[in-house]
Amino acid sequence: MTIDIPALLVSAILLAGLYATMSYGLALIYGVMKIVNLAHAGVMMWGAYAAFILIVNAGLNPFLAPILIVPAFFFLGMFMQRYIVRRVMYAPPISSLLLLFGIWLIMQNIAYLGFTGDTRAITTTFTLMTFQVFGIAISINRLVVFGVGILALLVMRQFMGRTYTGKAIRATAQDGDASKLVGINTDRVMEIAFGLGIALASLAGSLMALIFAFDPDFGRSHLLKGFCIVVLGGLESMVGVALGSLVLAIAEALSILWIMPALQDFVSFALLVIVLIVMPGGMMGLLAKLKKT
Amino acid sequence: MKHRRILSLLGSLVVGLFILPGTEVMAQPKEIILGAALPITGGQSREGGYVKKAYELAIKEINDAGGVMVKQYGKKIPVKLITYDDKSDNTTSVQLYEKLVAEDKVNVLLGGYGTPLITAHTVVAEKYRVPYVNGGGATGAIYERKMKYIFCLISSIEKLAYTLMDWIAGQQDSGNLKKPLRIALMGENTSHGKEFRQGILAKAKAAPDRFQVVMDEPFEMNLKDADSLLQKVKASNADVYLADARLADYTTIHRRYTELRLYHQVVSYGPRGTEKAARDALGAASDYIVSCNWWHRDLPTEAARTFRDKYEKTYNEPAEWFPATAYETARVMAKAIEDAGTLDKTKIRDALAKMDMRNSLVVGGRVWFKPNGQIDNDYVMMQNLPGGKVSLIYPKETATAKPIVPIPQK
Repeated sequence: MTIDIPALLVSAILLAGLYATMSYGLALIYGVMKIVNLAHAGVMMWGAYAAFILIVNAGLNPFLAPILIVPAFFFLGMFMQRYIVRRVMYAPPISSLLLLFGIWLIMQNIAYLGFTGDTRAITTTFTLMTFQVFGIAISINRLVVFGVGILALLVMRQFMGRTYTGKAIRATAQDGDASKLVGINTDRVMEIAFGLGIALASLAGSLMALIFAFDPDFGRSHLLKGFCIVVLGGLESMVGVALGSLVLAIAEALSILWIMPALQDFVSFALLVIVLIVMPGGMMGLLAKLKKT
Repeated sequence: MKHRRILSLLGSLVVGLFILPGTEVMAQPKEIILGAALPITGGQSREGGYVKKAYELAIKEINDAGGVMVKQYGKKIPVKLITYDDKSDNTTSVQLYEKLVAEDKVNVLLGGYGTPLITAHTVVAEKYRVPYVNGGGATGAIYERKMKYIFCLISSIEKLAYTLMDWIAGQQDSGNLKKPLRIALMGENTSHGKEFRQGILAKAKAAPDRFQVVMDEPFEMNLKDADSLLQKVKASNADVYLADARLADYTTIHRRYTELRLYHQVVSYGPRGTEKAARDALGAASDYIVSCNWWHRDLPTEAARTFRDKYEKTYNEPAEWFPATAYETARVMAKAIEDAGTLDKTKIRDALAKMDMRNSLVVGGRVWFKPNGQIDNDYVMMQNLPGGKVSLIYPKETATAKPIVPIPQK
């Protein structure tokens, strides 16, 4: 049996875009607030349903839907941070974990009530459309999701590096107390960072809905993969997340040459364990160390 | 002396009241209580909702006819159905079945839907020796636990695989497919998928001149990426592609299958294929997929047509297999009580074990159970046709059209 390795690699690179998009929000929230956002999966799921409503029910262009979804979820995230998450910000980590897990369950149950457990999918005119490059079929859907993933990375890089708010977010991520001392309103910064994290999760959900069928349990397995990626890339770095996504996607894709596809998740979690032991700072931590030496 | 006579008279009366059978003075139940915990909310809510509606429809019909005839009491007794929502959660399901038995004092139990839930809660029915029938848990492993009180109205997944392979063999004999056929096989990494793969492998092993399995892979549910699997399918250079997947994975995999421009002479996702959600999501890509199922609304039998018309008129939604087998589950239980002629649980269980119900709506029209408690009827096979249509293609007596094999290449 001869596996088409170039096709596998192309597909892995496109998958990396998807992985990165779904992990940025997780890394951003952890970076600034040191909170593991377990509600991330719920937000992705709601993002998928929001896309379904806008595209299928309201007939909106599939690529315009995120333009409405992202700001709405940004404000939802800010609201969540101000009125719910902030209350457990300085409590032991288990409090925020449980709180956000509870929020995820509530989101899931609301979706079950509103949409039932039926599997849904979004079909557009370009669903299933592909074009060939050197005999490799490339899906337009996946290419767009990959492109948006890269675009989100570039926008976030610019925002973090060029704007006052972005710099304030980075400063707060590095040292919250020092940031306060220099006059940064860290409460406001955290609100914005949480809003951005939630907005990115909703963007991921709305894009993933164009590829995958989904139900209210959607996002659960993606969340676990997201954890692997942020640990692999470095918990606080956007570029690290992109790199981590690429490494994981390629490792998973090529693993089928040696192990059965059912064990692909084993590859992710084995990588997670190895990274935690060998380079706890992730790939970005390792790169920083190499630079110093 | 007088006292002794009165005492002996009283004694005779007591004996008469409590020992002599068939006397009208025995305590008669006001109703026969059937209990079920169903997934009304949570992940299986869609299927659970269907089951609840079907049970209610069957019970209403039974009660409209006066109830179930119980010979021991010499009259028809109305039926009461108690249902709870197990929230699609195994632990809750077990607790609720305990409650049905211990607090609600049900006479018999009806099942819910889905292998994990049914695997979990059947233990309760067996523990308390309460007769139990379900129409929604096909996985054969449930019935291989040597339980005596558990019965199931839908055939095993292994049988599904056998039906599929028998049909393919028939296509070979008709000259539509070559011999031997190279088969690419994959299934979700659950007992459902495992049994499907086992069934295909067993048939292939038994007929090496017909079948050659060139790829056999399990995969994790909720696939994030089907590419690796499908690259293996492509590399296997198979003639036929057979998979077992739940609805979401079927949609995801087959979208990618189409994007990768794969082609096979026969494509099947086991029981999946005709679902409206999937056909909407896949469009023309779902045309010609063949699937096996326990029931279909177009089955050309009187019982199937009657149920379909009744269900669709009552609930204004298409009758799928979930409510059909659930409806028959309630009717089978009522018949078992009638056959037993008593509410004695052991006797009802024995009546179920001996059940031979004819003119049923199930495929083949006959309800009977193997010693392990599971029915062994054929599946009905369907093929998706362009324009969202479906034809029944197997078994012969239920077929509404000839199958289109090999699938036309686009």
